[in-house]
Amino acid sequence: MTISRSTAIGVGATLVVAAVIALLPLVLSDYDLSTGATVGVFFIAILSLNIVTGYTGQISIGQGAFMAFGGYTTAILTHNHGWNDLATLPVAALVGFAAGFVVGLPALRLHGVYLALTTFAVALAVPQIAKNYSNFTGGTEGLALPTHSGLWLYGMAWSIAGVMFVFSWLLLRGRTGRAFRAVRDSEIAASSSGIALPIYKTLSFGISAAMAAVAGSVYVLVINFVNPDVFGLSLSLYILIGVVVGGLGSLWGVIVGAAFVELLPIALTDSHISSSESVPVIFGVVVIVVMAVVPLGAADLLRRLLQFGSSNRESAKSPLGTEAR
Amino acid sequence: MNRRMKGALAVLALAAAAVLVSAAFAGSTATPGVTKTTITIGGTFPLTGPVALYGVIPKAENAYFQYVNAHGGVNGRKIVFKVYDDQYNPANTVPLTKKLVEQDKVFAVYGSLGTAPTLATRDYLNNKGVPQVLVATGDSYWGAQWKKYPWTIGFQPDYPGESSIYGQFIAAKVPQAKIGVLIQDDAYGQNYYDGLIKGLGDAKSKIVDVEKYDATQTDVSQQVVKLKAAGANVFALFALPTQTIDALVVATKIGWKPVTFINNVSASPLFLGLAVKSGANLDGDITTDYLYDYINNPGTAPATLYKSILSTYDKGADPNDTSNLYGVASAWTMVQALKQAGSSPTRSGLMKEFTTFNHVVNPFLYPGIKLNTTPIERYPIDQQVLEHYQNGRMVPFGHIFSNAR
Repeated sequence: MTISRSTAIGVGATLVVAAVIALLPLVLSDYDLSTGATVGVFFIAILSLNIVTGYTGQISIGQGAFMAFGGYTTAILTHNHGWNDLATLPVAALVGFAAGFVVGLPALRLHGVYLALTTFAVALAVPQIAKNYSNFTGGTEGLALPTHSGLWLYGMAWSIAGVMFVFSWLLLRGRTGRAFRAVRDSEIAASSSGIALPIYKTLSFGISAAMAAVAGSVYVLVINFVNPDVFGLSLSLYILIGVVVGGLGSLWGVIVGAAFVELLPIALTDSHISSSESVPVIFGVVVIVVMAVVPLGAADLLRRLLQFGSSNRESAKSPLGTEAR
Repeated sequence: MNRRMKGALAVLALAAAAVLVSAAFAGSTATPGVTKTTITIGGTFPLTGPVALYGVIPKAENAYFQYVNAHGGVNGRKIVFKVYDDQYNPANTVPLTKKLVEQDKVFAVYGSLGTAPTLATRDYLNNKGVPQVLVATGDSYWGAQWKKYPWTIGFQPDYPGESSIYGQFIAAKVPQAKIGVLIQDDAYGQNYYDGLIKGLGDAKSKIVDVEKYDATQTDVSQQVVKLKAAGANVFALFALPTQTIDALVVATKIGWKPVTFINNVSASPLFLGLAVKSGANLDGDITTDYLYDYINNPGTAPATLYKSILSTYDKGADPNDTSNLYGVASAWTMVQALKQAGSSPTRSGLMKEFTTFNHVVNPFLYPGIKLNTTPIERYPIDQQVLEHYQNGRMVPFGHIFSNAR
């Protein structure tokens, strides 16, 4: 079989997006670039959630906690042990993988909302643990890290995001990705086809958490600081919103989801005292409207728009059944 | 799905992202912090989130700036005060502070609230040479680490300075003291403990027990019972508001009435009121203050001005919430430094004024407490007065103490 046309177009489009991201530093200010770096952080985090939830069907609300594992690994090694900050990233990924693997164990027995609650508990517990071991983590006063220019942060964040994207793409188009999707679509069918559920479920959690940990490491480098509040519950919720807005089970939606959760609050924020209190409310309303209008996310919206123009194909109904490639 | 669409889809996704990006990045062109008619400053505050109760502070500060603007401004310039909501989360503080500096082009970052948010941004601001002034946190870093961070300065008395006053008072006035200490098991608690030791001097041997609690723990009854069992007749209670209220209630319940010292952070009328409602007996309990005592001096010039500024420019603000008075006192200090910096202010000139306050009288501080700094003594308020609880409120007594260093 030769390379399919869709693959060729996909690769071409990826290169165009990558080129735009690479060229943005020419037109953006240093401040905008540090904001762009944070979009990169959310890109990696949403990508990581998409693997475990979008592709493997295991709901996680604890992605912020896995980011905390990575963020604290980077901060502690840099601040307390004098490591080069970039050198900490592989260690963070390993720590995240281990954490994700362990949290993935309950996924063998729990499904749906029960699994979601378990990961929710992790999201709540991890910042408290960081608060308690203050000798190690700096407690609420946190740990400060070296500062970098916006350009450096942007280049670093998006280079890593690019690596993560290619990794995810290779992972999901191959044997492992097929197994993940089989687990998502029907566990009974998957196991009767010879897929070992325990292995693939925990593997999915482990890989997802490793990527989230890398996102957490990049995050603390971008804000050059870490304390438990950085990885609070709202971070996990933002990532969840991002993956839903972008589209579950779609790699293309990730960039839209990342831009949405980072840039919309900034666009809404102004410096007038009385109006800033309404930003969370406006953000929440926008999310509700988006969900009501495009329940399957940005990737599905684009697909439907294109189909409306060219064919009459029916759009998929299941949020976990679309764009499974 | 049509294969051709994948490419088109990608392009559309990209376009959508680009629209979002450009919408968010559409910033204004450079506005210098100082123009002929305006001077722009800004800060980050928790307007929403877990400590949103401090969100009244920037409103009171803004009210004072509006009052100053209505009376001619500072050296002919109106103050523009930019306020961003960081929800007390450093992950928000850092980008918002960059926004203030790089997009809003503020002259100085003023009044930003919280220890962690300030720690998270001071490297950046000091690298850029942007004044980070009158930060609203009582940690001792701002005064102690000025050599490394010369662009950062605090406002209120620092925690160790405050507890040193309790130490001085105990050493001088409670000869038979057996001191029991309750602190949080982290840097915050250690700050208070170190100051207490310094203030006690030789009397530090009178400490009979030190109990600690974890920051996440809200029930401190065990610790309070232990302090009573250790025979303490002086209770140094240096905790966060939640634990303070718990400790006061538990002490009353178990029939323990030592001479109690409550740190200023936790001794606001709001928190003490909650403790009383839950059954605590606070009679005679002691704390410190440095703000003007408008409650016991109604009708005086500072009290009247304070109330009229709030009622004119910050409608709905409760003058009995001391955070409002704090905001007005802080804003007064900012205006004073801007005034002193002259008609063509510079950032380094502003820092020079902040580090050379020569016994400046701020009408919203307790009479006799003055703003005093030198280039090597960077604690703007380094004096406090003791107060004790009588007839349902704190009443100042005795002379003004200076913090021991």
